Amino acid sequence: MRAVETRPPSSRRRATPAERPPAPRRRPGARARRLRPLVPYTLLAPALLVLAAILGFPLYRLLSLSFQQYGLKELFAGRGTFIGLRNYQDILTDPFFWTVVARTMVFAGVAVGLTMGLGTLVALLLRNLARPMRVLVTAGLVAAWAMPTLTAISIWQWMFDFEFGVVNWLLTRLGVDGFEQHNWFDQPLQGFTVIMIVVVWGALPFVAITLHAGLTQVPAELEEAARVDGAGAWQVFRHITLPVMKPIFLILATLSTIWDFKVFTQIWVLLNQRPSREYFLLGIWSYSESFGVTRYGKGAAIAVIMVILLLLVTSFYVRQMLRAVGP
Amino acid sequence: MSKSRRSRLTAILALAVALVLGVAACGDSGGDGDQSTAQSGPRTMTIWLMEGSAPPKVVDAVNAEWKKAHPNDTVKVELQQWNNITTKLDAAFAGSSPPDVVELGNTLVSKYAAAGALQDLTGSRGEFENNQAWLQSLTESCTMDGKLVCAPYLAGSRAVIYRKSMFAKAGITELPASLEELQAASEKLMATFGSDKRFSAFYFPGKYWYAALPFVWDHGGDIAVQDGGQWRGTLDSAEAQAGLTALKQLVDCCSRADKQGDELKQDQTFAQGHIAMIVANGWEKGVILDPKEGNPKLEKDLAAFPLPSRTSGQTAPVFLGGSDLGIAAKSKNQDLALDWVKLLAGTNFQTQMATVGGVIPNSTTLLDVHADDPYLSVFDATAKNSRFTPTSPNWANVEAANILPDMLVSIFTERASVADATKEASTRITETLNAGS
Repeated sequence: MRAVETRPPSSRRRATPAERPPAPRRRPGARARRLRPLVPYTLLAPALLVLAAILGFPLYRLLSLSFQQYGLKELFAGRGTFIGLRNYQDILTDPFFWTVVARTMVFAGVAVGLTMGLGTLVALLLRNLARPMRVLVTAGLVAAWAMPTLTAISIWQWMFDFEFGVVNWLLTRLGVDGFEQHNWFDQPLQGFTVIMIVVVWGALPFVAITLHAGLTQVPAELEEAARVDGAGAWQVFRHITLPVMKPIFLILATLSTIWDFKVFTQIWVLLNQRPSREYFLLGIWSYSESFGVTRYGKGAAIAVIMVILLLLVTSFYVRQMLRAVGP
Repeated sequence: MSKSRRSRLTAILALAVALVLGVAACGDSGGDGDQSTAQSGPRTMTIWLMEGSAPPKVVDAVNAEWKKAHPNDTVKVELQQWNNITTKLDAAFAGSSPPDVVELGNTLVSKYAAAGALQDLTGSRGEFENNQAWLQSLTESCTMDGKLVCAPYLAGSRAVIYRKSMFAKAGITELPASLEELQAASEKLMATFGSDKRFSAFYFPGKYWYAALPFVWDHGGDIAVQDGGQWRGTLDSAEAQAGLTALKQLVDCCSRADKQGDELKQDQTFAQGHIAMIVANGWEKGVILDPKEGNPKLEKDLAAFPLPSRTSGQTAPVFLGGSDLGIAAKSKNQDLALDWVKLLAGTNFQTQMATVGGVIPNSTTLLDVHADDPYLSVFDATAKNSRFTPTSPNWANVEAANILPDMLVSIFTERASVADATKEASTRITETLNAGS
């Protein structure tokens, strides 16, 4: 019912221009009418200027850097040498690049899947909980979400510490062998599992709370009708909840993809700011090329490639989204 | 009503303009870097020293002495951490007012000198005390195309610090005189104390590349060689691989240190009492005995011996670490900075650094201050059989890219065989050293 209510306001808005002509109280002067189209732009101008300054300029610098030979000498002098597409050529012919791209894609894919899946489960749980428990779970989610990223990751790092970590201690206590003095990052697969846990843990609250808010918009009588018709829990979810919630799912999936594609802090902190190459994702690689070995031009080119890849991946979602919310 | 709307619009526009102008002004301020002429009025000079290099007592004394000649000016000493220091230095030198004096690890100097970040001190060399007796390797690290770009500050070479009581309890009566004996002694210690799950006979954090190099050099290997202007990584040579295999054997049996860890906290860990041996600089004893971070009770129990060679009776070549003091080319306080550097690099304070700080001083004429100290003289002796990293401005990038620590971690965690890990590292070292700068 409530979902249906969202329609009228937009149709009413569309109706306004048609209503207007017969009811103009004050006829604006010719001059004012001529200036009128400029008003929105004037109002937008300050915001656009600020955006151009804080987003446009860095983007322009990033692009121009990526076409330059720009190392330490150039940094100190403040001027690079134009070398065309050489940075891009170097990167695309480096087999390590393809390894990192594949790793980043797989990592982001699994992370998005886990975040969305677990987030949906938590949201459904929230809906079915009695009020006191729901408040408790929501508070827990908000607390996890409100924790500053660095603090949270540092605590995760302590928990997985090889010598004093509570995880090793607990596993040893439970009688699992081989976790005394065990370093979780010795083998990349295990290391990435820990990183995945930390990333998903951090992303879950937002997804769960947003989905829960979305769930309250699903018309209860639709679900009820389906149930009366004999649909099971899964069928109700698949054929009623999911279609109604599609726009929200798409937005969340897009945002999660963007976040998980550029995971940086978690890896950087968990691996003591010196991750080995087995742990490089695109973001880490770009940073390490730029600020580690001072090849700023190449680092910028990696960043540009990363943005392009991200655009390609998210364009799929965006198209779906436009289709879902479109007329 | 329309008035208030207009004034809000005006305010927003004004804010936008101010922001845009502000950004433009920020972009502009990089240009006026060459006003290096001494200004009048009191000045403040900033010094970056590395964590653990000079004891606070010595720094305070240098500042007090310097203040006598510059009563109106102020000096500010800031301690920097070694971790990711190059990133911080890059940013500092790129700005228009970097610190006036920086302590640079001797392997990093050529990177910054080649990029033009350091002031040429050739003309001032004569003003430095002991400048003819400066340690040769430090002087070389400060020399770029025949110019002096920094002043030698201190040197450090590593030996093994061990617990006498643990050796006695394990029945080790003679100090290891060969690599084989070191392995045997470590195994004995593990047999005696190994039931303590935190115990390491020979504590070796996986990323400790300074301490891994002696094993490579002792077996006849090296990091890279220069061939007609081109560098070639040589860690995949049979000799280097043999050295790393020997080290892996020692680590496998006798170290429970973090294979992903580094050596930055090894002294504090050693002080906790679950370690028999560490590879360390002479001055690290001070950290081990520090009342706050360490354990002063160990004083009588500590001694040192040089890292033995595989040839019995000889010592393994060690990495000669050290630091130099450079003056930023963009510094506006060249005169103040030079006076400060001359003090810390001079006889008086170098002697204090050697006695209080336990480092190897910057001049051969000062080396005898340790002569009758049985502990520190071990470290001075190892410096005589020491080696250095490839002398290329690109070497700092090999360090920044963590190529050696990555290789060691791969070997110790068995992610890769010694052969594969060294092959990959060599390829990357070759690429990095030969990259156009």
